[in-house]
Amino acid sequence: MNEERLVARARTGDFKAFAELISAHKTKIYNLALKMTGNPHDAEDIVQETLLKAIDKIDQFRQEASFGTWLYTIALNQSRTHLARQKHTDLRPIEEYLPGSAGPRGHQGHDPRLFDWKDPHRILEDNELRVIIDDALASLPANYREAFVLRYIDELPIKEIATLIGESVAATKSRVLRARLALRDFLSRAFEDRYGQEMSGLH
Amino acid sequence: MAKKCQDYISDLNSYLDGELSAELCEQIEKHLGQCRNCRIVVDTMKQTVSLCRDGKAEALPAALEDKLNRVLKARWEKKFGK
Repeated sequence: MNEERLVARARTGDFKAFAELISAHKTKIYNLALKMTGNPHDAEDIVQETLLKAIDKIDQFRQEASFGTWLYTIALNQSRTHLARQKHTDLRPIEEYLPGSAGPRGHQGHDPRLFDWKDPHRILEDNELRVIIDDALASLPANYREAFVLRYIDELPIKEIATLIGESVAATKSRVLRARLALRDFLSRAFEDRYGQEMSGLH
Repeated sequence: MAKKCQDYISDLNSYLDGELSAELCEQIEKHLGQCRNCRIVVDTMKQTVSLCRDGKAEALPAALEDKLNRVLKARWEKKFGK
């Protein structure tokens, strides 16, 4: 049965139709929440809260977006609520992620890493690498993490992300780029500090 | 005046994601050919995304699935009545 008909049936109180509507999205929402919070317990709460909200608001779903996008918007809001207590730091201006930049605003103490790491799988165990990647994602301010996850894990187009997060296309692009540069910097530091000699392309 | 590394950076993502015009791609590639620093940045940016993509999606825990069935059904019945 197509989505439109399922939504219509769900609105009349057909639970089975609702269950079918959400079935394809539950796992995606769980994984989004896992990436956003880094914590399975919080991720489970977010899935549950999202789906409860969807029940409460199903009459408000206007079918301007797909049901999946609508659910995702709710899930992002729930993630934000969970992360609201985290401090909102900002990332550095884009140009300061490149070497040779004193930075127009003269930020002190930042020296972009130029460690040329190659395929970390060669020398790191999967779980070791996983921890570093999770730490890297956790190091991003939530609004940047969100943009990065939507773009590169969920592989959504910039335009759709802009709609989801309520920003302009230009602001969304910039956020995704800064998140990627900050992650790159974090990983370069982590790899160089721990495995410099072995991982460098020069050795 | 020749462009500096910083002039390229805002286009790097679009370049890596294949969203840049052929002309701009050519400019960036020319610069990358001459600038080892930018080459490292671009290579490691690429790897950053592939590393973060690694790893399978987690399955929904069975206990959560059970709990959702109960909790959602209860909320549904409250909303629509039995």
